[in-house]
Amino acid sequence: MTKHYTEDDLILYYYEERSRRGDIQSHLDACDECADAYRALAATLRRIETPEAPERGDQYGLEVWQRIRHRLPEQEMPWWSVWFRADRLAAAGVFAVLLLAAFVAGRWWSAGNGPQLIVANPPVPSPPDTAPADDNAAHRVLLTSVAEHLDRSERVLTEIMNTKAGGDISAEQRWAEDLVAASRLYRQDASDAGEHSVALVLDELERNLLEIVHSPSKATAATIDQLRRRIDAASLLFKVRVLGDELRQRERQDTQRPRSLSAHTS
Amino acid sequence: MDATEVAAVLARARQGDSEAFRTLVERHSRRAFQLAYRITGNEQDAEDVVQESFIRAYRQLGRFEARAHFGTWLHRIVANCSVDLIRSRRARYDHTSTDALDPADQPETDAPNPERLAASTQIQQTVAAAMTELSPLERAAFTLRHYEGRSIAEIGKTLGLGTSATKHSVFRAVRKLRAALEPLRGEA
Repeated sequence: MTKHYTEDDLILYYYEERSRRGDIQSHLDACDECADAYRALAATLRRIETPEAPERGDQYGLEVWQRIRHRLPEQEMPWWSVWFRADRLAAAGVFAVLLLAAFVAGRWWSAGNGPQLIVANPPVPSPPDTAPADDNAAHRVLLTSVAEHLDRSERVLTEIMNTKAGGDISAEQRWAEDLVAASRLYRQDASDAGEHSVALVLDELERNLLEIVHSPSKATAATIDQLRRRIDAASLLFKVRVLGDELRQRERQDTQRPRSLSAHTS
Repeated sequence: MDATEVAAVLARARQGDSEAFRTLVERHSRRAFQLAYRITGNEQDAEDVVQESFIRAYRQLGRFEARAHFGTWLHRIVANCSVDLIRSRRARYDHTSTDALDPADQPETDAPNPERLAASTQIQQTVAAAMTELSPLERAAFTLRHYEGRSIAEIGKTLGLGTSATKHSVFRAVRKLRAALEPLRGEA
């Protein structure tokens, strides 16, 4: 009998989350200490009954609908859907006809019916047509990913700001640890994409997340105060929120802009 | 409504057909209210969460993947709206007792005797009070695990947390609730 199971192990076992349930079961059969601990835990959790929600009648859905029907916002459309709107399709049709006409005219012109062009230099191979579109899509993915990352970071920062003195912040620390790695990658991507202001905020965020990760889990009043001051001093929550909104707005604008324009302006 | 009809309603709702969305609201409101109530622990807050969730769902419906299940997607929105609302009203939770604390509000059960009923009621009151002391994420994670029977992986996906953070939210919630219930050991 070398290893006893922790309370966390037993909680996972109670909720049937442990993958090696057989091992724990065998251990509980053999170890009185762990069996007692598990019995006490299970007894407590069994006493926590699911609260009964106040009853809602059959018409409840209709009542909810009546309350929200005049407050429904405009739907955010997926990025690809803008290409399938009737006006866009018509514009694309006109563009295709013009392109075809230009091609035919060009062929007719270069076949000897017009002035011959003198080619001084060999033609330079042009990059594939899809390259700008791919760049644009990658850029949009980056904006979306960073915006989601900022949302998650805002949550962990808010949790820290709301933590009471003496509270255990180990969950936030593990969460922050996950975010640090992601933040580093996004910062690099943002720098590479020329998004320097985004990279700056991510850099600041990363440093604050690292502070959280490396603070004591049992946060004293002084620790919490120090973390809060640091976050406040950098106006980090505000920056994260504003940047997140801004990126989402840019993402929406990108998706609504015709590809031919966005490819040149990004 | 069979699967084909549901898919048709969803497709129309995604194209901005508000009548189709109304069908979805009518179909999913009660379940949404139940979840919101379990997480927020407050009837009026749950009402607010339900409305806000459907508004959020409508706004984002264009991004909803047709092959996914609308109920699962809405469940995620309701859970996150509940977390957001608890955060924004945290001060209020800190200074008021919960709705469930009044014994007169407790639902009647088939408990065999008054003593046992009283003890059980006291336990549930203690749990309700302790739940208000949990952080919004601990509260949501515990509700989804203990009351809703969701797995750690599902909870993480719902709340946008990593596995480790999800587990620790549940662990912390259980520890706090155990501490709150410790004085009542042996009752009920």
